[in-house]
Amino acid sequence: MKLSELNPGETALVIHVGGNGAVHRRLLSMGILPGTVIRSVRVSPLGDPVIYEIRGSFISLRRNEAEEVEIEKIVPLHLVPPGTVVKVVLIDGGMGFIQNLSKMGISPGKVVEVLRPCCPMLVRTPTGSFPIGKGMAYRIYVR
Amino acid sequence: MLIALAGNPNTGKTTIFNALTGSHQHVGNWPGVTVEKKEGFAEYKGERIRIVDLPGTYSLTAYSLEELIARNFILEEKPDVVIDIIDSTNLERNLYLLTELMELTDKIVVALNMFDEARKKYRIDVEKMRRILGIPVVPTIAIKGQGIKELLREAVEGKFNLKKPEYPRDVEDRIKRIEEMLKDHHLENERWYAIKLLENDGDVVKKLQGIGARDVIHAAEHFRHELEDIYGDDIETLMASFRYSFSHGLFHEVAEPINVGGVTITDMIDHVVAHKIFGIPIFLVVMYLSFNFVFQVAAPFQDAIDLIFNGKDLSNGAHIAGLIDLSYSWMAGFLPDWLSSFINYGMLRGLAAVLTFTPIIMLLFIILSILEDSGYLARVAFLLDRIMRKMGLEGRGVISLMLGLGCNVPAIMSTRALRNERERKLSIALNPLIPCGARIQVFAFLTSLFFAKNQAVVLWSLLLISFAVVGILGYIYSKTIFRGEVEPFVMELPPYRLPTFKGIMIHMWEKSEGFLRKAGTIIIGAAGIIWLLAALPWGVEYGSEASYIGQIAQFLGPAGHLFGLTPEAIIALFFGFFAKEVVIDSFTVLFGSKQALLASMTQLQAYSFLLFLLFYTPCVATLATIYQETRSRKFVFFVVIEGLALAVLFSFLAYNIGLLLGVGG
Repeated sequence: MKLSELNPGETALVIHVGGNGAVHRRLLSMGILPGTVIRSVRVSPLGDPVIYEIRGSFISLRRNEAEEVEIEKIVPLHLVPPGTVVKVVLIDGGMGFIQNLSKMGISPGKVVEVLRPCCPMLVRTPTGSFPIGKGMAYRIYVR
Repeated sequence: MLIALAGNPNTGKTTIFNALTGSHQHVGNWPGVTVEKKEGFAEYKGERIRIVDLPGTYSLTAYSLEELIARNFILEEKPDVVIDIIDSTNLERNLYLLTELMELTDKIVVALNMFDEARKKYRIDVEKMRRILGIPVVPTIAIKGQGIKELLREAVEGKFNLKKPEYPRDVEDRIKRIEEMLKDHHLENERWYAIKLLENDGDVVKKLQGIGARDVIHAAEHFRHELEDIYGDDIETLMASFRYSFSHGLFHEVAEPINVGGVTITDMIDHVVAHKIFGIPIFLVVMYLSFNFVFQVAAPFQDAIDLIFNGKDLSNGAHIAGLIDLSYSWMAGFLPDWLSSFINYGMLRGLAAVLTFTPIIMLLFIILSILEDSGYLARVAFLLDRIMRKMGLEGRGVISLMLGLGCNVPAIMSTRALRNERERKLSIALNPLIPCGARIQVFAFLTSLFFAKNQAVVLWSLLLISFAVVGILGYIYSKTIFRGEVEPFVMELPPYRLPTFKGIMIHMWEKSEGFLRKAGTIIIGAAGIIWLLAALPWGVEYGSEASYIGQIAQFLGPAGHLFGLTPEAIIALFFGFFAKEVVIDSFTVLFGSKQALLASMTQLQAYSFLLFLLFYTPCVATLATIYQETRSRKFVFFVVIEGLALAVLFSFLAYNIGLLLGVGG
């Protein structure tokens, strides 16, 4: 899927950054790299360009630039409805945060089920059921 | 001692530069290019420290002029310290440039700017950051002047024990081997050159070809292919990923997010201002209100300046003497009459012309600074990029065109915001075709006289013709003479911030002062020349048919006839070159009364004249500014010819089609 196909409000994981020369380099230096989380925020009245959130900043890309970025759709955990079983893709945080979640059985690749919606939400992980606060749920991405 | 300031755009770099240097600064261009260079001096314990503001960049690649300037300055001028100014509300992205700077130099001071705002977003452990990096880290709040002294102290007295970030082993090994090979070529900063060779940096490869290091280039190419095979991606993506993983790691080590997922004020404002339906109407209202404000506030100042210099003609025919009249009579006491007249009615009147539109220029710069510093300008670019792209410009180009409706001088100076040289030239070439406030004033005066019944229609037709010509010409230019590669439009939308009074004033004064000093001298000179043309040969009445201007008008008479231009109209156009509003004065002087003016032209001739006035040669101040901004006489000449050609074309067509149809006779 291409970044240009992502609808406003949706989140994705960057898989590959194409484009040549200046476009390629500019996308990279703004932090659009394989493995980064990107969210489509707002479309211009004329349909192009689109504002994306990446690494805490807001960047507008033209359609032809967004077409160069290969993505995979993901969802932040807080948006997942109860009763859904999802697979953790990425955890956005420092070592401490990642370790804490890992103790609860939440790490990339693990399957979790949402029992109660946000926030705080309740999730069942391979190790048990845990309450997850807003500050955490927003930084866990699932598929 | 030499300190360079580096940092991303929108980090408050300029504010820190101003705080460090105070009034001891100089604004110029980097050699050979039109990228602005700011330099100044700070004082620390009696030592004079030179401070250079590098262009704001996101990285240090060879793909953009700004980035090349920044890195070459650090490589070649070897500043004693580089201060990296970081927007601490946006740490992770800003730290990327730091990783690149750390490859270039060891002596870096990190300024964590906007620290107060950042504290609302995360808890930042400054001490830990200092320990991890091994260099001074200073929290600053530039707009409040906080942390500036500490920044300077750390730059001069701080301890630098930089711990350079390392790449993964297999990359690091290859960098070391290239470094070894570079030893024979006597370069400083071997590690940086090695990394750039590995990255296939065009500029560095060219440089090493120049010193005959072909073997190293080949080796680097080989290593590059090896790494691309190992990691399965292109080298640029790989290197950027390694650097970002360092900044990502560092960010999470030193900053702990608080209040995740909250709705920010910026979100709320954007929801309205960048709205799918309301966004563009809001922009138009903002522009309308801005112009209203500018003209309302400027008018009394302009009248006052005009009154002081030129005096006033009373309705009973009497004349209140202005400064120019008084100075003329005073000088005539000890100077020959012609010299006093030249100085006062030539040069001094030129100065007065400059001063009368200074209030408008200053106010427009204030508006521009507010729009820019608040973050709104980036939204305008976002809203209108699609339309502007058709004219070969990016979204921001719309601002300079809109400012043109106020005055072409600040409008042309505002094209500096366009990063691409081609787009800048294109928008400068189009700008004079937008009727400025002065021309609109003349339009209003003449239409109220000649087209009293349908004034609004005539006025709007002129504006629409101008916009259409700018749009079509932009489209044609961008496909022909200003053709070029489309720059990536990867634009950051900074959070909205309340602009500070001080910031706006500094911004405004920097630009207005530059205009007054540089363009001002050219304008006064040109005013002198126009005076000579109107006053020579000796003894003729100023501006009369016998003067050179009059003779030229007579000579051009038959040609003017083709467009319906009367000799008086040609004379008025000559004076309009000096400042477009002078056209009204010239008509008043030439005809004495409105009735005589009304009788001198048919409606068709008047319309043809208005079209000529819309497009012909921009005024001296605009030309001086174009020269100032492009440093190219050829370009100024191009703009003059462009304007004349359009003026001739449109007024010829309008007059002759009108004659054929038998309207307006």
